Amino acid sequence: MHPGSSMERRLRISGIMVILGLLVEALCLVWSKPIAFVALVCIGGALVGVGVLFFLYSLISAPSHPTGSSGATAGK
Amino acid sequence: MPTIAIVILVLFSAALAGIFVVRPAITVSRAGKILAFGVFFFLPLFSLVAGMENEMQRSESTAFCLSCHIMEPYGKSLHIDDPSYLAGAHFQNHRVPADEACYTCHTNYAMFGTVKAKFGGLRHLYIYYLGKPPLPENIKLYEPFNNRECLHCHLGARSFEEGATHNADPATLAAVKANTLSCVSSGCHDTVHNVGHWGDKVKFWNGGS
Repeated sequence: MHPGSSMERRLRISGIMVILGLLVEALCLVWSKPIAFVALVCIGGALVGVGVLFFLYSLISAPSHPTGSSGATAGK
Repeated sequence: MPTIAIVILVLFSAALAGIFVVRPAITVSRAGKILAFGVFFFLPLFSLVAGMENEMQRSESTAFCLSCHIMEPYGKSLHIDDPSYLAGAHFQNHRVPADEACYTCHTNYAMFGTVKAKFGGLRHLYIYYLGKPPLPENIKLYEPFNNRECLHCHLGARSFEEGATHNADPATLAAVKANTLSCVSSGCHDTVHNVGHWGDKVKFWNGGS
């Protein structure tokens, strides 16, 4: 697989998880019910956390010197 | 930070992340990589922490506690127009902050009181949604009310230290301070919320929030 497309795919996945987590957080903030706090922490927090960790993982797992790549996987 | 500002920040962060999801090739450039780090790391974590801080603050509000249907009678008890009702008298006379009335009396003023109160809240949620919640009049405290929570404000106050009833027996004040004689369950200030025992004659004060 092209290293650039692999990095882009990982960015997309982490981005989608972060977006979903942030949307859950936004909903919880405007929904003032006690269960909203639990949803924010358990669902929103988990999605954002996993998204951020996956993004960091995609950075460290990217090849440091891609050969013949457009450069999207520089990993620095 | 106001809730609306946090919501805007959260949506802004999500929108920025959306740009990278649609066009991940932005990260090809050095500036794009730096921006991606901000969008995928700093902004989401900052938004999350700000949101959780906001929710923690909100969970201390009277409105938050009373948003559970089961707590409605307890909220109503704060408006009973009778000074012998301890909770109502404290709420109506602002002896406790009216917007944090429940939290002020029902949190533990020991070192981990706030943490314990939050875990207690999670337990309430578990019982409310997954367990069998009791009727409002059957709700009991998990442990006897500690005088420490009363003394947090009343200790040293003239009305407390020099009160005629408190000093009628020299042993009373010492026993209260040592938590061996309960303020609320030894027959002195035992009319607190009294949900389910109001009768027909109880009147309600229309003021307050």
